[in-house]
Order: sequence, then structure tokens, then C-alpha cells
Amino acid sequence: MGTALSTALQTAGLGKRYGRTWALRDCSLELPPGRVAALVGPNGAGKTTLLHLAIGLLRPDEGGVEVMGHKPFDNPHLLGQVGFVAQDTPLYPDFSAAELIRMGAKLNRRWDTPLATERLTRLGIAQDRPVRKLSGGQRAQVALALALAKRPRLLLLDEPVASLDPLARREFMQALMGGVTEEGMTVMFSSHLLDDLERVCDYLIVLKEGNVRVKGDVEELVAAHNLLIGRAGEPVAIPGVAEVVRETHSGKQASLLVRTEGPVEHPEWTVRDVTLEDLVLAYLSVPARQEVAA
Amino acid sequence: MIWLAWRQHRKQALFGLGVVALLALIMIPSGIAIHRSFVDTGYAACLDGFGRAEFVPLAQVNGCEQARDAFRNGQDSWQIFATLLIFLPLLAGMFWGAPLVARETEAGTHHLVWTQGVTRRRWALTKFGLVGLGVLFAAVAYSLLLTWWVKPLSRATGGGFGFLIFDLHGIVPIGYTLFALAVGILAGAVTRKVLPAMAVTLVGFVAVRALVEFAARPFFLAPKSRTFKVATTEIPNPASQDWLLSYSLHDSNGPDSNGGYAFCEPSVTCPDEGWFNFHVYQPGDRFWLFQYIETGIYLALTALLLYLAIRLVRRRIT
Repeated sequence: MGTALSTALQTAGLGKRYGRTWALRDCSLELPPGRVAALVGPNGAGKTTLLHLAIGLLRPDEGGVEVMGHKPFDNPHLLGQVGFVAQDTPLYPDFSAAELIRMGAKLNRRWDTPLATERLTRLGIAQDRPVRKLSGGQRAQVALALALAKRPRLLLLDEPVASLDPLARREFMQALMGGVTEEGMTVMFSSHLLDDLERVCDYLIVLKEGNVRVKGDVEELVAAHNLLIGRAGEPVAIPGVAEVVRETHSGKQASLLVRTEGPVEHPEWTVRDVTLEDLVLAYLSVPARQEVAA
Repeated sequence: MIWLAWRQHRKQALFGLGVVALLALIMIPSGIAIHRSFVDTGYAACLDGFGRAEFVPLAQVNGCEQARDAFRNGQDSWQIFATLLIFLPLLAGMFWGAPLVARETEAGTHHLVWTQGVTRRRWALTKFGLVGLGVLFAAVAYSLLLTWWVKPLSRATGGGFGFLIFDLHGIVPIGYTLFALAVGILAGAVTRKVLPAMAVTLVGFVAVRALVEFAARPFFLAPKSRTFKVATTEIPNPASQDWLLSYSLHDSNGPDSNGGYAFCEPSVTCPDEGWFNFHVYQPGDRFWLFQYIETGIYLALTALLLYLAIRLVRRRIT
């Protein structure tokens, strides 16, 4: 069934609330297989909630989530095929890496011990010492090796590099990308850090206040947005502009980040390309769409 | 999964073994001494001499007083020690039960272990089951030890039904210990933090124990009552192990408002004025029945609490 699947992860009207507060609401997205998706948003946007729903730690209160066509909650069959690296990469501190690998072998039907062992050997990480004696970056690498040893078809990572220093962060992302090309799997990782995103991911999901603000293929998204610079004044209809995402003014100059629906040509506006970072920041800086509509 | 449970709990298992060994080290020599003193003072023979009759001659009881005091005087400190032992099950609840779920949720490692290829149900059943089995072994060991150790003290102080003595021997300590473990596990699953879970375990265990001890146990079966004259040559058999729930003095007009318990050999100074003792009691031969009932209550509570804990683990904890 593997190749026949058109989505690795699919949600429809997905919602989860804690008490009266909705951590995630009306979330609909499809993640095509083989993609590396970044799940971006500020703290509290619902990233962890979405990942926990996808790995089956949480049960939806509204809508549904399917991973490779199956509901993930309480589904051990699926758990064996989905790798998960939780926030702050929790590990049993008194276990050595070798013992954690052994634990994975005992708990999973499909498990590649040599893959995990060789990864850690290559990275020069001691496998016979309690992991509490390793550095934060090394612990994150152990957690990644454990997730990859499942040979997962979908790998989910929750803020895997948030607590790492820049060097360890870079090494981790390199290791992650190395693992992905080896396996050809689908990856979704959450992050509130924007640097390096463009080099790493080819699919983007921006969450804000529990809603999906924008999602899609990175190249298509970048191509479909432009920065327009011109004189501040009355808003005018500009041909080719589908939506003004964000408007900023400095003095008499206005800059508009816009979603386009065709070539933008207007004598009063200079058209520039956007970076992925510009795009994400623009979507995060404006209120959620529903509020704009209201 | 069994490997993981053993790897995570082997230190606790060794610690538990150490506690049982330490207990044995204290109780075997002291128990031998207590048993020896029970025989040497002649009190064991005295109690045996009373047989199983409901009433025995007052003169015979008085004749045993010296032996009784000789035996009891040597054992006061041991009675205090034995009282401390009723808190032993709490160790299982606070140090084995409370951290079982709470340490995982506190450190976030439940996100690691619950996203491997086993269901949370299986995780919970294996962990609860194996830790429960370890606790069961420890509980059986110390129950056997205590039952043997406390026997002379129990017989010398009126029987196995005695306040706190009932709790120390037979099979109830096993029920208490498994219950303490279950309270700890559920408290951990509710609070999700180790220290609060330990505190809840302490309070919850003591509260339920006190409730059953004072509000339920005296009424497991309808108590019996009996009367006997104050001026009497025969009193209830001290070796009967009866559990006296209440006592009062009556004359033909009804009970004396001061209550009390009195008897004397009829004589000039002890004339028969129609006063009699009224006793409400649980007969000593109900001891094992009461042990089964109380253990049953605690085992049922244990099953209920573990069921709730598994539900929380499966459905609620994230």
C-alpha cells in the first residue's frame, strides 16, 4: 500500500482543547509522502499538540487525523512505523545509549540496531555511559538515532534543536538530513527558529494561535509571494495581487508582502522576491485570518 | 517490556530485598527471645491451661497473673517497635508506587516509551504487574515473619484481634501493602509529579486504613453479647482471643452510667448485689474470617485503583 498513498499525514477540521482553551482548531492539511516539512509558529501556536495528535499521544476532540491512512490514537501497529523525537529529547538518564537501543529492540517489531549503533559510533558518542553524562547535543543525537532505528515511514520531531547551541543545532540538522536521504521517509519537525529552514525543508506549515495560517510547497510558496515597495497612500487594487498579507510603512514608503495570482505589474510599485523567512514572519505578524474577517 | 521494567526497577527491587533482610535481621533474634521468654515465664503454659472454655475459674486466672506480668514487663519496647511496623506498607506506596507513572511524566520520558511499538495498556499492565509481584513477595515475606514474631505478644495481650495487633499478622499486611502500591500508582497518574504523589499516598493510605480500622472492622459481622455476674468464681477465658467492643455494668434497673468492668470472688467484701457485666464482643474464632474480609476489601480497592490508573494512562495523560 506504500506507494499508493497520496498523503503521509492528513488532518481534517482537527481540534484539541485543554479545558475551554482550544490548543488547535479547524486544522486541515495534507502532507505528501517524501517531504520534509517544517511546522513553524510561536510558542503556544499548537505545534506540540498537532505532533502529539499525529503520534497518537492525544486523541482529537474535533475532526480527525490520519497517518498513512490510519488513526494514530492507541494504535501500536502505526507506532512501529512512526518515529518520534519529543520536545527536549527525553531519555532515561541512567540508561546508556546501548541500553536505550536495546530497549527499542525489545519494544518494537521492526528495529535496526546496527543503524543506531553505527550512527552513534560515527558521531563519536559513547554508548556505554549513562546518557545523563552526555552533552545536550549528544543526547539529541541519541534520541534521533532511536527514532531512525525504527526505520520509520514518517518521522516527527518536536522542537528538536530548540535547546541546542548553534553548532550542535547544525550537526543535528545535518544528521537528520543524512538520515532522511538514506531512508526516503516523510519528516515533519516543529521549530520556532527560522534560520536554516530554507536549506532543510521543502514543505512549510505555519501555525498561529491554533490555526493553520499558510501551508504548501516551499518553492511554490516563495514563488507565489512578492514584496511590493511604493508610496504610502490610499490602497489601490494592484493587478496580480490576490491578498495583502502584511503592510508596513516607514515614512512615505509602504511595503506590502502579497500573495500573487499572476505577474504583478504596476508602475508605482517595485516588485521584489521574498525569502522563506520574510514570508513566515509576515504570516506570523498579522492577526489570524478569522479575526481579520470579523 | 519485561526487560525494560526490570532495568528500571532493579534498584528498587534490591532496596526492597534489603529492607526485608534488615527486618529479618532484627526480628529473627528478637522473635526467638520473645518466644523463649513466653515459655520460660510459664505464661504460655498458663494460657494453654485455660483450654477453649468460654469461662474459666477466676482463681486460675489470678494464678497466672505473676507469669503474665513477668512476660509482659520484658516486652514493652517491642510493642512500640511492632506498632511502627504498621507503616511498613507505606514504603511500598511512596517509593515504589508513587514514582511509577509520575517519574515518567515529570521527566517527559513517557513520550519516549509510549511512542515505541507497545500500547500504553501493555506498558501499564507489565509495569504494574511486575512491580506488584515484587511487592507481593516482600509483603508475603514480612507477613510470615511478623505472624511468627508477634504470636506471643498477641496471645499475651488478649489475642490477635487486639488493636493494631490484628493489622500486623495473618494476611492483612499483604492486602495493605498491595493497596498502598495501588494508591501510589494512581496518585502518580493523577498528580504526574513524584513528590505530590508521595504526599497524596501518605494521606490517602492512612485515611483509608483508619476508616476501615475504626468504622468498618468492628461491624464486619454482628457482634455477640454475654453477661456474667460481678460476684463470680468464673470469668471469660483470657485465652479465647475475643475482641471486646464495649462493656458496662448493669443491675436489675439497667446499665450503670459509668460503664466499667468488674469481678471478684464472692465474699463478705464482695456480696452479690445483683450487678452483672454486659459485654459486646467479636468471638476470637472469627479472627481468620475477619482477616479474609479485610484483605478482600483491600484487594478489591487495589484492583479498582489500578483499573483507574490504567484508564488514566491510556486516555488522559499526555
